[in-house]
Amino acid sequence: MVLKKQLFLVILLLLPLLFLLYSLFVTGVKDPIKYIYTITGATALTLLYITTSISMIRKAVNLIKYRRTIGLFSFFYALLHFLNFIVFDMELKFSSVLKATLEKPFIYLGLIAFLILLFMAVTSLRVFFTKYYRYHKVIYAVLILASIHFVMAQKALSINQWFYLLIMFIIGIFKFLQRTKMIKI
Amino acid sequence: MNYIKSKGWELSENFVTDERFFDKRRKFLKLGAALAISSAYVMDLAAKESAPSPNLEYLKDPNLQHLTLNSYDQITSYNNFYEFSTNKEAVRPLAKNFKTEPWKVTIDGLVEKPFEVDMHELMKKFSLEERIYRFRCVEGWAMVVPWVGFELSKLIKYARPLLSAKYIRFETLYDPKQFPDQNRGRFAALDYPYVEGLRMDEAMNPLAFMVTGLYGHTLPPQNGAPIRLAVPWKYGFKSIKSIVKITFTDTQPLNTWQQAASNEYGFYANVNPHVDHPRWSQARERVLGKFFKQDTLMFNGYEKEVAYMYKGMDLRKWF
Repeated sequence: MVLKKQLFLVILLLLPLLFLLYSLFVTGVKDPIKYIYTITGATALTLLYITTSISMIRKAVNLIKYRRTIGLFSFFYALLHFLNFIVFDMELKFSSVLKATLEKPFIYLGLIAFLILLFMAVTSLRVFFTKYYRYHKVIYAVLILASIHFVMAQKALSINQWFYLLIMFIIGIFKFLQRTKMIKI
Repeated sequence: MNYIKSKGWELSENFVTDERFFDKRRKFLKLGAALAISSAYVMDLAAKESAPSPNLEYLKDPNLQHLTLNSYDQITSYNNFYEFSTNKEAVRPLAKNFKTEPWKVTIDGLVEKPFEVDMHELMKKFSLEERIYRFRCVEGWAMVVPWVGFELSKLIKYARPLLSAKYIRFETLYDPKQFPDQNRGRFAALDYPYVEGLRMDEAMNPLAFMVTGLYGHTLPPQNGAPIRLAVPWKYGFKSIKSIVKITFTDTQPLNTWQQAASNEYGFYANVNPHVDHPRWSQARERVLGKFFKQDTLMFNGYEKEVAYMYKGMDLRKWF
């Protein structure tokens, strides 16, 4: 039963990718590189919000057995996002990658967030997990970095972006109240 | 005795192409050449696909540079028009019922006599021509657009500015009933009404163009109906849409994007591959509909026509 549910979850988590591929190759997209950034980035960030929420509400609603899968998929979409940057946007010119990374806060904040996610993905393997799981608190750093990166990607903030920021603040406040034991969930 | 000795370079008779095949091959080659020519025509047709049939009379642009046009669909469904939405693909459906009748343009400031002119009347004053221009957005995407309209310089002469006028300032319509984002108060993406400006010599440059049509047809609302600006050597945000007011002034206008983020967007906003945006490089661009990027040209490829206006200016400072 659990296995079936996991399988269902994986299919659910693959939907954004299928949607992306369908748009790219069937319906067609005007600005493909930008589109890949948007879909993979928004999906990675949304899944990140979901995994942290699962951790915070685990005493009320126990969904912890799905957390790792969702977290890994968040990393997977971040990886696609990163590859889009390296392969299509920078066209595999590593001098451009280096220059952009060193010069633009927008780029290096995103890159740091990605590297932390990479660390978490690797150490989520059973062999490393017992030793490293306590460092997985760095996810809150990823959350903040990725949200800043997301906001910086926009030319101006509109309602949708405010909504993402709002979710991040709610998570932040909730976490703070939990840590200071002002609420008990 | 008739003795035939074949020379060393001679081929045997059975290598000779049969006459029938020879003719067929000729025909085949001709067909290929015809296809090559007509494919340009077919591409032209494909680009016009879904475009409404032309309703304007204008002088056609011979497209001497052989620019490949973006399709009508691409140009009209991917629009930065923040008054409707910051989502480029949401603009077209939101702009569907935009009212451009009646439409008046006010001309004031440092002119002999300020006045208001009805759009229909304005259209009658100038003969229309087509201009196939490159369009480069500051965000890094680009397209090629066949605009229809008239030179801005003609409008300026008609407005009769005073000698003291050093700048020209444009303003977009402010109408919260029609523009959803003008209703959002502090959550609006920008301060409205949208404002843009040009130095007088820039405005008088023959490339500066007032647009009233696209692909031979009246401009659709999402592209800035009924009248917009096109300054192809500058980033797209300079080409202000749905203009209701033109003011001549002696002070440099504060354009909306400069007001929103002066560290990122300046007054000049000339396309320049050597000066980066603080968050991204401007060296290359993504042409709509294409997967691979191409080099961005200095002044968007109009260096010959406009570079003299910026001689001696530090383009890094005056971005």
